Amino acid sequence: MNNDVRKLLAGYVDGELTDEEKKSVERALLENEELRVELAEFKNLKEVTGMAQYADLPDEVWESYWESLYKKLELGFGWIFFSLGAIIILCFGAYTVFSELFADPSAPLWLKIGLPTMAAGVIILLVSFTRQRLFAYKRDRYGKVKR
Amino acid sequence: MCSDTVLVSQIQSGNKKALGQLVERHKQVAYRLALGLVGNKDDAFDISQEAFLRVYKSANTFDNSKPFLPWFYTIISNLSRTWLRKRKSRDYRMVDVDDVSFLLVDESNPEMAMEKRETIASLRSALLQLSFEDREIITLQHFRGMSYEEIARMLNIPRGTVMSRLYYARRRLADLMRNDSNE
Repeated sequence: MNNDVRKLLAGYVDGELTDEEKKSVERALLENEELRVELAEFKNLKEVTGMAQYADLPDEVWESYWESLYKKLELGFGWIFFSLGAIIILCFGAYTVFSELFADPSAPLWLKIGLPTMAAGVIILLVSFTRQRLFAYKRDRYGKVKR
Repeated sequence: MCSDTVLVSQIQSGNKKALGQLVERHKQVAYRLALGLVGNKDDAFDISQEAFLRVYKSANTFDNSKPFLPWFYTIISNLSRTWLRKRKSRDYRMVDVDDVSFLLVDESNPEMAMEKRETIASLRSALLQLSFEDREIITLQHFRGMSYEEIARMLNIPRGTVMSRLYYARRRLADLMRNDSNE
């Protein structure tokens, strides 16, 4: 049987065919028992899905929907500002500590070596973590799905 | 009343009230679309909210010459795929989902409801086993009652592709339901 006619069955059940398409399906239905069985199956499926409905949420959830969304929005901005502030303070703190540390001749050598080494380690870890996240994002098969 | 596109252009300039209007207009659609895709009420609710947050954050990437709903649907669909992947369903099926109450019998006829409950349970089970793409097209056509033309616009595919995707999705759904009743 012509596969194109078979695919038209979906449109036939949903009343979505043009007159010409409809006639070609009806002609095929007269000739083909298998197609008639398939049509009956599709009609039954449509009836079954017509009896079902997706579960709704309680009214109070809908009433507070915007409120809870707005809180999330504010929370997001809060985190952005907090993170920016924390980065600025940390950078300033690190600059102050290191400039004073290296300017002080009485500071022990192990401290002058140990502290910058630790800071370098933290920076490498941060860069590595960020790179991994970016790599995972780029490999996301559906991250950039455009329809 | 402002159109969706006008509201998004207001959101682009940081107008939260416009977002509020857009949310009121589409919150239930967003929830139901997500529910059809992930099959879990709580997660569908979270996905719908996250979708609106994305609208706010990514409003500048929206092309004002195009309709809002297909763009919004793409956001919901991508979020749903990510959610399913996080559920460790590698092939994007919902077999691990434990919320069985996402699909209910229409209770408008109580006598019928008793009889049909078993059939709906079978439908629910079959839907859980469908691929993401099949479930998507079934959700849009059967449960959202969208025309082929609307689905084509929403998914940015030709009308003929809508029809053939629906044919194969229904074929698989019917097979799954038949197998379920034979077991």
